[in-house]
Amino acid sequence: MKKQSFGSILFIALVLIVMYLPIIVVVVYSFNANSSRIPIEFTGWSFKWYKELFSGRGGFGDALFLSLRVAFWSVLISVVIGTLGAIGMAQRTLVQKQKPSKIDTAMEALSSLPIMIPEIILGLAFMILFNAIGLRSNDMRLVLAHSSFCIPYVFMTVKSRLVGMDTALFDAARDLGASPARVVKDITLPLCRPAIVSGAFLALAMSLDDFVISFFVYGAGEGTLPIKIYSSVKVGVSPQVNALCTLIIATIFIAVALSRYVSSVRAARERKRSFKAA
Amino acid sequence: MMDSSKRDLRFSLWLKLPMFLWTIVFVFVALLYVIGLSFLSRSEVIGVTNELTLQNYARLADPQYLRVLLNSLKLAAMTTAICILIGYPFGYLMARLNPFARSIVMLLIIVPFWTNALIRIYGWRILLTGNGPINSILLSLGIIKEPLKLLYTDGAVLLGMVYALIPFMILPTFTTVDKLDFSVVEAARDLGASPLHAFLTVTVPLTLSGLMAGCVLVFIPSMGLFFLSDLLGGSKSVLAGGLIQRLINSRDLPLAAALSVLLLSLTGAVIAIYRKVGGSGDLSLF
Amino acid sequence: MKRFIALLMVLLLVIPAFSIAEEEKVINILSWVGYVDDDTLADFTARTGIKVIWSPMESNDDMLLKITQSGGAGYDLILASDYALNILQQEALIQKLDLSKFANYANLDEKYLNQPFDPSSEYVIPYTAGCPLIIYDAEKVPFEITGYEDLWDERLEDSIAIMDSARILGGITLKTMGKGFNETDPAVLDEMKEKLMPLYKNIRLFGDMDAYSAVSSGEVSVGFMFTPFVFLSMMDAPDLTVVYPKEGLGFGIDGFVIPAQAANVDGAHQFLDFLMDPQIAAHNAEWQAYMCVNKAANEFLSETFTQSPVFSVPDDMIKNAEYVENIGASETLYQEIYTEFKNQ
Repeated sequence: MKKQSFGSILFIALVLIVMYLPIIVVVVYSFNANSSRIPIEFTGWSFKWYKELFSGRGGFGDALFLSLRVAFWSVLISVVIGTLGAIGMAQRTLVQKQKPSKIDTAMEALSSLPIMIPEIILGLAFMILFNAIGLRSNDMRLVLAHSSFCIPYVFMTVKSRLVGMDTALFDAARDLGASPARVVKDITLPLCRPAIVSGAFLALAMSLDDFVISFFVYGAGEGTLPIKIYSSVKVGVSPQVNALCTLIIATIFIAVALSRYVSSVRAARERKRSFKAA
Repeated sequence: MMDSSKRDLRFSLWLKLPMFLWTIVFVFVALLYVIGLSFLSRSEVIGVTNELTLQNYARLADPQYLRVLLNSLKLAAMTTAICILIGYPFGYLMARLNPFARSIVMLLIIVPFWTNALIRIYGWRILLTGNGPINSILLSLGIIKEPLKLLYTDGAVLLGMVYALIPFMILPTFTTVDKLDFSVVEAARDLGASPLHAFLTVTVPLTLSGLMAGCVLVFIPSMGLFFLSDLLGGSKSVLAGGLIQRLINSRDLPLAAALSVLLLSLTGAVIAIYRKVGGSGDLSLF
Repeated sequence: MKRFIALLMVLLLVIPAFSIAEEEKVINILSWVGYVDDDTLADFTARTGIKVIWSPMESNDDMLLKITQSGGAGYDLILASDYALNILQQEALIQKLDLSKFANYANLDEKYLNQPFDPSSEYVIPYTAGCPLIIYDAEKVPFEITGYEDLWDERLEDSIAIMDSARILGGITLKTMGKGFNETDPAVLDEMKEKLMPLYKNIRLFGDMDAYSAVSSGEVSVGFMFTPFVFLSMMDAPDLTVVYPKEGLGFGIDGFVIPAQAANVDGAHQFLDFLMDPQIAAHNAEWQAYMCVNKAANEFLSETFTQSPVFSVPDDMIKNAEYVENIGASETLYQEIYTEFKNQ
């Protein structure tokens, strides 16, 4: 690869810095000692918001927990349904070498609607639908709504992986007499794994971040973390929120660093093994 | 042979079935409800009556609602334009980084998604207030004498929009540039094209599908983000998404539904144009 | 290892879903976030063993939407404004209170009982009262502000922080025209719209907490806000001037009601009785910075609170103050005018 010019690296760095400015502010202000109702001025360092957060006052823990629970189930559902859907649709083009049927194309367009249309419309639609069928459980309402907009993310990621796949593998497997289920289990799924994982992570991020749809869908209860944050921004955000978000960011970065470390160790071990084998 | 292809067909149907059912029950039916609701009328205080009417659509023809729609379209267009100006070169340059740097940058772009959008917007509020960090720094450097009016302006709303949506421009352009065969560009250079000329006549057309996907992914949501004008713009203007929310809140659900249907058809039109012009491209992030 | 972690995660996430099913004494309150101090809630739980779940709402309208859509099931108490409570009552979505369950009911100030939105005080326990006031920085504003009319002054361009309410901004415009807050005559409302439109260029931002933050930090020189925000601004910047608008005041009460479908009616009564305790009422009035509706609580209020100009509005002004009332479908007219107003 060509060496990058200084200018282009500067551009990338600059954009990233602007992107992280507000996040840095949130992290810094989570240590703000100022305890007036609207702590705009930074008056000194303190850990008190972290202490309050862990004391459970303000209920941010419950909200985070609800968010995680909803995200977990939505991602699980959307990974299963989205992946199967993508594989099912690709079956026709990959294995049978036919053009996608009209129904498939229509379904694909329809199923991608939840991430295409403005969120507020979907929020309104789900609110009306759930009230019409008398679905009361908050968890159910949120999981159903979140799964609906998570499925297309998983579906699209997996599908775009399948589209670029070499069909020779499938032909060979079928010639050797493998059943369709066997092909999916032994060939398609393993090949799709990276796409499934990245689809799942994308879905997870979208579910945790969603405010608009959750806002319309949830009924009685304290709400998910974004709802809790929005309603407290209105009355002056508690610096506890900053502390909570700082912890979330820290957790993500540590998790990512750990996974990179683990995979690099594993890669090194693999190299060693193949070296020994040789 | 016949038998096995039938079996295949049945098998792939089973795979697709859950997604089909889910889509029909939760997306199709839900949207049908919205469309149906848009033909009912509001009852005196709360709720709806069962008379069918076109009155909601007639009301939307009122100049004030058209103005809301036009303003939203204008803001969405400006957001998209700025996202192109920053996001496209970013995606392009990012795809040309070495694999390690590239994976780091990719990570840095995705991580903010896991922190809450509202909190990041709240961070901007702190940054932009009259006595916030930006103004204090500029004041202490002597660049300005009076604090600038940054928060509660249209500019702040635009900033928030671009900020929230730019990853949706960066990721698709990155993907197409990444797939681009650079030997074509090299060939153009060898034939005597200047770097800029080669970029404009070869690279841009070849990566147009990603750019277009990015435009759609930025343009459509930007019409629905109602809380940004609330939090950064001092609620000073009403955008389409905000108007739907306002109508829902004033319990005029049929009118909100009619406006949603209008916005939905607008979205459909944008996607249709995209499919016509951009052809095949999937609207996927990766 | 991976399977183990996955299993662990599933357990972590599933178990709490079951533990909720176990009979736990809770009351679920729907209201604005932070309307009752968290300490008070914790105190209540410590004394009665009843856990309080606070469901956040964004506005009265948001509340009405939620309650009318769900029929009110799931909530045991709603804390909202007078006219919204009136709508709930008219739609038979709330139930009568059982006054015999209250030991502290007599502590309430009669001034706030038997009001138009609940003529014989059968449904609502008033919690806070207030009237929106103007507050301004006399150093930055080159003239004396005495009423709503002054907000239209050209010299105030881009310098007012104002509440975001179609009915109240419409209402003060009507006041400057010599009409009332609850006007429904379309011709008059048309006139009101003409009058209201030019106010827009003087407004820097709409909001409640945002307005307070902008006023107290000096980002704007004039504010028109609800009681607590005026009080808090005064606490931060004591040199600001509070104005009792000469055209007359708007007035509002926020109170509690029990939804018809409440699950824990008894717990709701216990909670209300707890809030009417003089000391607790005084604490929350100060914490919330609204007028105190509890007569017996007055002796526990601090001097900073009682002496503030915000809480020293002359009695005759309060007597003549007007409620924003439930005006049925005419509400839509106000909303349409307001959308047009905001979209200039």
